[in-house]
Amino acid sequence: MKQEDIIFKIRSGGQSELAAVYEEFRSEFLHWITREFRCSQEDGQDIYQVTILIFFDNIRQGKLQHLVSSVKTYLFGIGKNLALENLRKEKKFVPMDQEKWLRNSLVDEPTAHVEESVFAQAKEALQKLGQPCQRLIELFYYEKKSMPEITETLGYKNSDTAKNQKCKCMARLRKLFEQETTSKSIVINS
Amino acid sequence: MNYPENDITLVEKYFDEMLNNAERKDFDRRMQTDQNFKMLVEREQVLINSIRMHGVQEDLQFLKKLEETLNDKKTVTLNPSSKRWYYVAAAAVIAFLIVAKVFYTPAPSPEELFHAYFKPYPNLFEPTVRGEATATSRTEAFKAYEQGDYERAATLFSNLLKTEKEPGILLLLGNSNLILGNIEEAKNNFITLNSDFDELDIQSKWFLSLCYLKSGDMERAKPILAELGNTEISYAAKAKELLEKVK
Repeated sequence: MKQEDIIFKIRSGGQSELAAVYEEFRSEFLHWITREFRCSQEDGQDIYQVTILIFFDNIRQGKLQHLVSSVKTYLFGIGKNLALENLRKEKKFVPMDQEKWLRNSLVDEPTAHVEESVFAQAKEALQKLGQPCQRLIELFYYEKKSMPEITETLGYKNSDTAKNQKCKCMARLRKLFEQETTSKSIVINS
Repeated sequence: MNYPENDITLVEKYFDEMLNNAERKDFDRRMQTDQNFKMLVEREQVLINSIRMHGVQEDLQFLKKLEETLNDKKTVTLNPSSKRWYYVAAAAVIAFLIVAKVFYTPAPSPEELFHAYFKPYPNLFEPTVRGEATATSRTEAFKAYEQGDYERAATLFSNLLKTEKEPGILLLLGNSNLILGNIEEAKNNFITLNSDFDELDIQSKWFLSLCYLKSGDMERAKPILAELGNTEISYAAKAKELLEKVK
């Protein structure tokens, strides 16, 4: 995959592009990280997976719009920061909690103080939402796809229909979340 | 808590980056002054973060499944910190040594094989007895053989054969000549033993094959070893083993 094509393909693509990028830099990254940080192959794979997902999210969120260095340099930079931070927090290299690192990277600061249980209720509501709503709002908020792209992916009549559908799905999700929090008396700490 | 529809629309437009300037000002003001509105924004943020976490967890599982297929396809990468590395490295070194031994160690020479397999046939025919009063040339011959004086034994056995043509004497004479390096004489001794006597034919063939081995004539040694290897006699195992090495 050509360097200049990567950002475009990640933005417009899905899991097949994720797999292509993952495989392209995998061997070099694992060889480097296991030597540099004297970690196991499995620990190296954990770091690489989080690194790739952060890299993808940075591009999808628009945080990374132009690569000033090679993809490899960028990936190694993320990986190095993750490994060093993991070492610093744990004092010694221990298998990383991938979900924790992804949450730290993906979740916006304003909700950092929110209890874990609240996120669990939201997750519950999301699962109750069902398809195609779940896929639609993931395409919009996680993959950052545009309405024309969502229209094409999910086969809506046009962008307005897709946008209306997204609003309805979010309204339904709020209602489900409200039901979850009310039934279990969860209060978001402020 | 039920929120006004207009507030929900404003918050949704904020997260979708669709606010105009007037809406943006209204949003910022409400965030500063309206606690309920702030809670509404926070709830929306929790939901969006949950959607994003759900998405990334699906991608993480996708990568883990992909990794399993890559691990199946690729060889183990050496990892300096893992203890398994040492086992992998040790196994690799052992495997290399075995392969090197099999493929790169030069095959033993016929001379080396001869020394590895040749053992003088013991004197089972006329054991010498200590303190024997009368020493004849016959007893002297066997005694010399037992003592390792093969030159004297060869001379005495040769003389004996002129008058006492016995298979045992012929076998030990052949062994003495073989040890002394008189290969052609040794060959004749074993060929004669095999052709002229019904006894000791297996032994004669075994030692004849070793004569060919010592002289480097592998092609003549092989059929004899193959013949011995197909028998049920005590030489069969040794003959089979040696045949494999001269192939």
